Amino acid sequence: MSQSGVDVSPECVSTFNELKLNKKIKFIIFKLTDDYKEIVVEEASENGDWDYFREKLLNAESKSKNGKVGKGPRYAVYDFNYDLASGEGTRSKITFIAWSPDDAGIQPKMVYASSKDALKRSLNGLATEFQANDTDDIEYQSVLAKVSKGLA
Amino acid sequence: MASSQPLTSSVQPTDVYGGDEVSAIILDPGYSSVRAGFAGEDAPKSFISSYYGFHNDRQIFGDDDTHNPLPGMEIRNPMSKDGVVEDWDVAKSLWHYSITSRLVPMKQTDPRTNGLNDDTKDMDVEMEGTEEEEKPLEEHPLLMTETAWNPSKNREKSIEIAMEEWGCPAFWLQRNSVLAAFAAGKATALVVDVGATITSVVCIHDGLILKKSIQKSPLAGNWVSSQIRALWNTSEPKIDLIPHFMIAAKTPVDAGAPAQATYQKFENITDSFRTREEERVLTEFKESVVQVWPGPGRLSSPNPAGTTNVDYVKAQPGRVFEFPNGANQMWNVERMNVVEGLWDEKAAIPIPGEPAVTKGQTIPEMIKASVNAVDMDLRAALLQNVVVTGGTTLINGFTDRLNQELLNMYPGTRIKINAAGLTTERRFGSWIGGSILGSLGTFHQMWISKKEYEEFGAGVVEKRCK
Repeated sequence: MSQSGVDVSPECVSTFNELKLNKKIKFIIFKLTDDYKEIVVEEASENGDWDYFREKLLNAESKSKNGKVGKGPRYAVYDFNYDLASGEGTRSKITFIAWSPDDAGIQPKMVYASSKDALKRSLNGLATEFQANDTDDIEYQSVLAKVSKGLA
Repeated sequence: MASSQPLTSSVQPTDVYGGDEVSAIILDPGYSSVRAGFAGEDAPKSFISSYYGFHNDRQIFGDDDTHNPLPGMEIRNPMSKDGVVEDWDVAKSLWHYSITSRLVPMKQTDPRTNGLNDDTKDMDVEMEGTEEEEKPLEEHPLLMTETAWNPSKNREKSIEIAMEEWGCPAFWLQRNSVLAAFAAGKATALVVDVGATITSVVCIHDGLILKKSIQKSPLAGNWVSSQIRALWNTSEPKIDLIPHFMIAAKTPVDAGAPAQATYQKFENITDSFRTREEERVLTEFKESVVQVWPGPGRLSSPNPAGTTNVDYVKAQPGRVFEFPNGANQMWNVERMNVVEGLWDEKAAIPIPGEPAVTKGQTIPEMIKASVNAVDMDLRAALLQNVVVTGGTTLINGFTDRLNQELLNMYPGTRIKINAAGLTTERRFGSWIGGSILGSLGTFHQMWISKKEYEEFGAGVVEKRCK
């Protein structure tokens, strides 16, 4: 359980396992339900285009407590593939991303941050993870450098 | 009673909001102030000073009465300079006051025993009625914040008070640095908290404090005040720090001219009272005049023009500060000198009778020590997630300088500082974090219930609140 008491729906784990084993799904975006009770799958996509994925995160929304819609945090898992600079082939790393834009409301930011470990712990087989808070953090090049530890 | 309904209609949890109404109370005690309020609200409704008056064996709380120049009244504080409770009896009463004065109405007490109708001659008639002590929080779960270094004895004491004396149905303790990190949207962060008596740097990974990374130093808000005192004491002519309450009347004077004021005389004003009133003037000075040299480099560093930054600042317009007695003068590079010691131990103004500032107490060195204490692989992530909180960080230029110092120490590393733009979010960061957490419907299952407490005792807090 997370520090906020928020639960992870079983669908999160099954979708993640599908990504891990079948390799068809390229990314999953998870969200908290509007009542902040449970983490659910928002989208599982076979489109491996990074910019398409990035747009999804940038356009994510959350409702604040007085019902206003603003930018929203999300969790995501991306099956990240890259070629080693040394020419020794392709690597694939299942990457966990905690996306929490700095200009999102304080309430969604708080709930997402305090619920993150619950989701992370129920997904077995993550190769790497990072926290992203502004558009630069999810530029392809900066992610590539982070995930490959500079070896791409 | 209308006031026993704690949430106003505008913040009443709705289905959109997701919070079930639990009307939990969030209590965030610090050295200079106690913040208390209802979960789900944006800011603490009750904000009172931690300083209390001690007069004729009586404790006086709150911001009105403790500023009243009563003859012989001492000003004291139940917290240690480390931000942990020292005097439990007073701390308990102070927190009780912070909650009952603004949030929970005092229950009506029996007029025969509440002392209000006591006639001095039959004082000792019936005292057993007071046995049934008031339990003000019987309907309110209590979420308290604590410092990262709060000893386990103190943690157990907190739950004891909440459960036994206040009758809380449920209790939770949460580290304030973790709350500040979460409120910034980060489960992993390096939290720099500059408060009144203590500056701390703490690394947090996935919502857990890395114990080895905890760094503390007394170079915080009150230390800056003592630097200003030292500056004024050594000024030519020496500046007399006369607090507001002593001024009867004043007439405007030119800058630098002696004050034209008449003073009020008071009998038997204690030093501690005077010091605290002086502190208010110093606070005003800190808020309106003091500025951190924003960088690049340090205040003493050379600049491209071939001089030092000091010369550059001297050529810039200063800021005027008017003392309570009407005397006023321009402050130029001095307004930066008083905070330079936070970054550069050599720049600290020596205070007679106090040990010199060491390098390890400065903010950059604390961050370095903290980061060096954690795993290599984590360091980059921490430096990208520096969260700045605490009232003293609101001094102009603070975050710019912090950024400069970090870039200097870690060239080539991506540094990102997160400092809430809203003043309230910076001052009440951990309270607000607690407020959101405590209002979550799902947080229900986290609370330590009264039943659990009865079953396992106070030690349960160590097991549950990591």
